[in-house]
Amino acid sequence: MSFINGVRYGEKDYSWLDFDHGRCVRCGVCVDMCPMDVLHFGEHGYPYMRYRDDCWYCDVCTFVCPRQAITLTDVPYLIR
Amino acid sequence: MYHVKQADIVIIGSGAAGTMAAIYAHRVDPKLKVVVLDKSKMDSSGAAGRGMDALNTVALPPNSQPEDVVELLTKVTEGVLDQRVAHRFGEICPRMVADLEQIIGRGKGDLFPVDENGNYRLMYLHPINKPLLLPMDGEEMKRALAHAVRQTGAEILERTPALRIVTEDGKVCGVLAMNIRTGHYYYIKTKAVCLTTGAAGRMGLASSGYLAGTYEFPGCSGDGYAMAYEAGAELVNMECFQANTLLKDHQGPSCGYVAAPRGAYTINPWDQRTWSHGYSSGDSKMGVWKRFAEGKGPLYLKMDHLPEEMIQIIEKIQWGNERTSRGLFHKGRRQDYRQADAVELAFAEEIGVCGGHSSSGVLSDVKGATNLPGLYVAGDVDGGLPQSYLGGALAMGGLIGEEAAHFAGGAMEPPQRGGLKAWLRKEAEAFEEPLRREGGLPTSLVEYKARVRVQYYLKPPKNPVFMQKAAWWMERIRQEDLPRVQAVDLHDLLKVQEIKSILTVGEMMARSSLFRDESRWGYQHWRADLPAKKTEWERAWVVIKKGADGGMEASKRLVPEYQWDYPTAMEYAYPELKFDTGPMFQKGPEWKNPSGDPWMKRHLDAQGMDTPRRFMPKEED
Repeated sequence: MSFINGVRYGEKDYSWLDFDHGRCVRCGVCVDMCPMDVLHFGEHGYPYMRYRDDCWYCDVCTFVCPRQAITLTDVPYLIR
Repeated sequence: MYHVKQADIVIIGSGAAGTMAAIYAHRVDPKLKVVVLDKSKMDSSGAAGRGMDALNTVALPPNSQPEDVVELLTKVTEGVLDQRVAHRFGEICPRMVADLEQIIGRGKGDLFPVDENGNYRLMYLHPINKPLLLPMDGEEMKRALAHAVRQTGAEILERTPALRIVTEDGKVCGVLAMNIRTGHYYYIKTKAVCLTTGAAGRMGLASSGYLAGTYEFPGCSGDGYAMAYEAGAELVNMECFQANTLLKDHQGPSCGYVAAPRGAYTINPWDQRTWSHGYSSGDSKMGVWKRFAEGKGPLYLKMDHLPEEMIQIIEKIQWGNERTSRGLFHKGRRQDYRQADAVELAFAEEIGVCGGHSSSGVLSDVKGATNLPGLYVAGDVDGGLPQSYLGGALAMGGLIGEEAAHFAGGAMEPPQRGGLKAWLRKEAEAFEEPLRREGGLPTSLVEYKARVRVQYYLKPPKNPVFMQKAAWWMERIRQEDLPRVQAVDLHDLLKVQEIKSILTVGEMMARSSLFRDESRWGYQHWRADLPAKKTEWERAWVVIKKGADGGMEASKRLVPEYQWDYPTAMEYAYPELKFDTGPMFQKGPEWKNPSGDPWMKRHLDAQGMDTPRRFMPKEED
């Protein structure tokens, strides 16, 4: 069961959210609003999916981002 | 760090029910100290974090009455309910709907549709000849409710799951919680607790294998059920399982309650329809199960016969509300609602329990009060009001806020717990033990194992051996695996708590199923060894609670005497493995929904497929 693995992910790991660093102002609204505590700030202050496998693909982050910097590019791999 | 606080009311879980509880408690007495705990974020947590498209069951005169709700719930629970609670819910539906319009700030005819006479335009869905479903354009509902709660001045502790409801002399006296981002502990002395933690929806594991691929909000892992049980509360109907027909793999609602009243229906590849009504009651679940069991799946939600305008309306609702990733999911699978086989459905991929969808939860009375003085419940964790969906959570959430406020206003100070600091340190040390382990079992691995066992052994059709094995597995994982589980950080530590809840709820499901030695509610409690209803179980609950010896204790209790004489049975015959399940529900001449939807068409024309961001303004470049 290789998909039952680590709990924390790095900023460069596979993810189904795209964060446009050109638009993101690191305001933290998405980190604050993610209902599953998936999003956290990375090394340079940009959000990323630290707890990727808890994502409910609810789309809250893309909806609340005031800069429209987040795109849900796909649903999680196991259900796509 | 430990924080000790004092409150009049602690609300555990700020979903639809919890937010309404806070708002209504404040209305009763603005001076009351209310603390709201949420393991998540109030603005986005719970099943309705991205809104909801309908209040599935409500009574709104003149088109439907409280007695109609009693009739429906008496029928679909096959008589196992407290009719007074159903009637009370029906009575307070109009104020809940008016409040919601006011809180969200949208006038009549916008948030909900109204007819030409200005009455709410209810739709037919249920297996009675009354319209009880009210469509809603409610994407921003949670953010509006959160805004209203903040205005009450309540103290809001987010990312702070409750770990324990503390009692003294059988009365609620406090709540222990921990913030998963700071590691700070909170002990809140309180006179009353409103428990609104949602369903036990992260139970069985869907075949995709994705742990967060749940129908219910995955934060709803049955914590409220387990906490209430540990505190001494009584739970009922834990054998009436939730099993849904959902979008295969996505696990979002298909969504029959949007599409069915607008003309869609469920078919298999041979154009055989599944059932006469679109309501998710035990009989329709049995019909769906039989299709699969006979090798006549998969099933599809058929919409290709609908006019283009109606398909666009359904797309707008489904992709802009509740589980908005449905549109992206369909696109990825190259599915189009204009094709007969566009929406593939799966059934019973996740076995769980829920008050709002089935009937399972903490037993409550007409005030939402439980057997523990000071403990009130509403929403999906509430077993006192079955199958009331979001409308029940909102209405009864408000009601328990009022009742808890009256109780707290008149109650004495909560008892002072002696040796509090030492107790807190002990609790924290025990809770954090998985953080100190090295080389232990990952939480995801243990959760996977527990949920696979739940799904395999508890899924109906049930028999005693499967139920005993399920209970055995819950105990084995509790005894052998939990002492070895390792948490890598505080976020992960919460998972350990959630796994404990899953095991407790799983065992309650198994033991209640064993105790009710008959079949009832179609698929939901189908005992293959006892495939018929028994007279002695008419109008009777299985009550489960923690026994004096620490084990689970099941007993039988008759529901309160009926005040309304409505049928206590569905039309279908009890199970045999053949598709002919007997006569279906017969729709009366009035049971017909309009062919158009001018209300949603107006939204579609004004907004296109965009969803207005009413509580989340967009910044311009």
